[in-house]
Amino acid sequence: MNAVSFFRNAFAGRKLATAGFIWLCLIALAAISAPLIAPFDPLEIDPVGRLAEPGWPNLFGTDHFGRDTFSRAIYGARMTVIIGVGSVIVALVAGGAIGMLSAYFTRLGHFLMRGVDVLMAFPALLMALVLITLLERSVFNTILVIGVVYATTTARILYGMTLKLKSEVFVDAAICSGAGHTSILFRHILPNLVSPLLVQASFIFAFAQLQAAALDFLGLGLPPEVPSWGNMLSEERIYITRAPWLLIYPGMLIVLSVFSMNLVGDALRDSMDPRFKDDIAGV
Amino acid sequence: MLAYTLKRLLTLIPTLLAASILVFLFVHLIPGDPAAILLGDTATPEEVAQLSAEMGFDRPLWIQYLLWLGNALKGDLGTSIFFREPVLSVIGSGAETSILLATMTMVWIIIIGLPIGILSATKHGTWIDQITSSGAMLAASIPTFWLGLYLIMIFSVTLGWFPSSGFPSLSDDGGITNLRYLLLPSLTLAAPNAALIVRLVRASMLDVSREDHVRTARAKGLHPSRVAIKHIFRNALISVAAAFGFTFAALISEAVVTETVFSLPGIGRLVVQSILRRDYPVIQGVILVIVVLYMVINLLVDLAYARLDPRVSLK
Repeated sequence: MNAVSFFRNAFAGRKLATAGFIWLCLIALAAISAPLIAPFDPLEIDPVGRLAEPGWPNLFGTDHFGRDTFSRAIYGARMTVIIGVGSVIVALVAGGAIGMLSAYFTRLGHFLMRGVDVLMAFPALLMALVLITLLERSVFNTILVIGVVYATTTARILYGMTLKLKSEVFVDAAICSGAGHTSILFRHILPNLVSPLLVQASFIFAFAQLQAAALDFLGLGLPPEVPSWGNMLSEERIYITRAPWLLIYPGMLIVLSVFSMNLVGDALRDSMDPRFKDDIAGV
Repeated sequence: MLAYTLKRLLTLIPTLLAASILVFLFVHLIPGDPAAILLGDTATPEEVAQLSAEMGFDRPLWIQYLLWLGNALKGDLGTSIFFREPVLSVIGSGAETSILLATMTMVWIIIIGLPIGILSATKHGTWIDQITSSGAMLAASIPTFWLGLYLIMIFSVTLGWFPSSGFPSLSDDGGITNLRYLLLPSLTLAAPNAALIVRLVRASMLDVSREDHVRTARAKGLHPSRVAIKHIFRNALISVAAAFGFTFAALISEAVVTETVFSLPGIGRLVVQSILRRDYPVIQGVILVIVVLYMVINLLVDLAYARLDPRVSLK
């Protein structure tokens, strides 16, 4: 099953998931063309126009520095995509490599998977907090920390799946026809893992948003000057009654995006290879 | 069962030891002299030299680890830079809040999550199922701190029904009624977790309902509600009960955000504040305590699971 038809099957007859997918496309569009869409500089401070109500020209109002909330939200979409895609890449590449290699080379696997067990003894948020203590606040480090946390679960899931695939007849056939380890791993096993990896990626993307927002809120995530939805909520939280728009818009954006990503993941999981269905626990 | 218990215990110990090595190395990964890091900025060179000698910071790393582990096993986790008190008693002072919060949260998760999950599964495929399971997914997509801020705004600031922050101990004035301070925080923390339980109850009931014994029960003409409760739910409950255990273990650390929003004097907020204060002995101690608790609870859940479902220990 190729990725395109897998996608098409997944969304057939699922209106909510399709809506979620369209929403995510809009977020991606906003992220790519942020400088074109945003009417103002997201960092420009205007003390006179602070805490302006939503209207014209500030569609979502302004914050306590007088910065345009709409423009910040658009640039926040950019951070959302960067954090999400970055964490997914770190988690899937690191976790995927560990999981697949461990299942394929059993002796190495015994050693590596014990290490994964040890890391999984740390609850997810606690591990993120510990790692962040050792690093400076930056976009890259936030991605790294969240990616590492989800690399452990990814490793465990892919370990199980690769073990199942390894005992399939087509792998025996490949070995018999003289295929090398690289060829078996990349040409015979990996293509079968594409759809589970896509499902896992969408759930990691969703979790990563919530984790990143939580870290921002605790003052341990992205640097405070970076316009992300989490930072917007964190900085403006004391204005919740005086200027409610400052918390409603970024909050709703987070909820809608995470919800959409979960819906997409759920739809993809339901149309996934039945052999692996029980392996991925999303929402 | 005994063999399974022993096997699980034997795998727990090396994992615990490895985790403790990571926790130990934590202080050494921070750039600078570990003794100076543990004592903070205000320490005199004499104090630094004294602690250095006590902890053996000039000796090989593995001897330092053994010294540290020995102390930790005796309950000596060092001294907090900020509080100037033993780390263990600092952690202990947050324990009441954290345990009560986690317990109340579990109560909400069970009260809210179980019935909705059962409803969703028994009405599988109908609009009720669609609304409840999408609703659960939506609830799991809400950042807890955002939900908490709005609960404070609505129920504390506007309506004035519940206090917005803090938690006096149950032994203070007010006694058991002080639990009202934990009502909003526990609901906040319960929301995403109850949502996960709804999805899980639904999924595992649907799994069980495809099994042969359920078809037999239906075929012999049992009432559908009796099949749902006695045949499907009771069997699905095994994996749900395990999920309750894992959730409880995770709540202690997941509460970090909620405790910060509601300014609760729990272990979670202690972690965040210690990170911001660079109080490394407390961070190290809390991590160790939480990791040990987390692993022990997970082990107990696994054992209980094997007891409930004998197929597990035979694998």
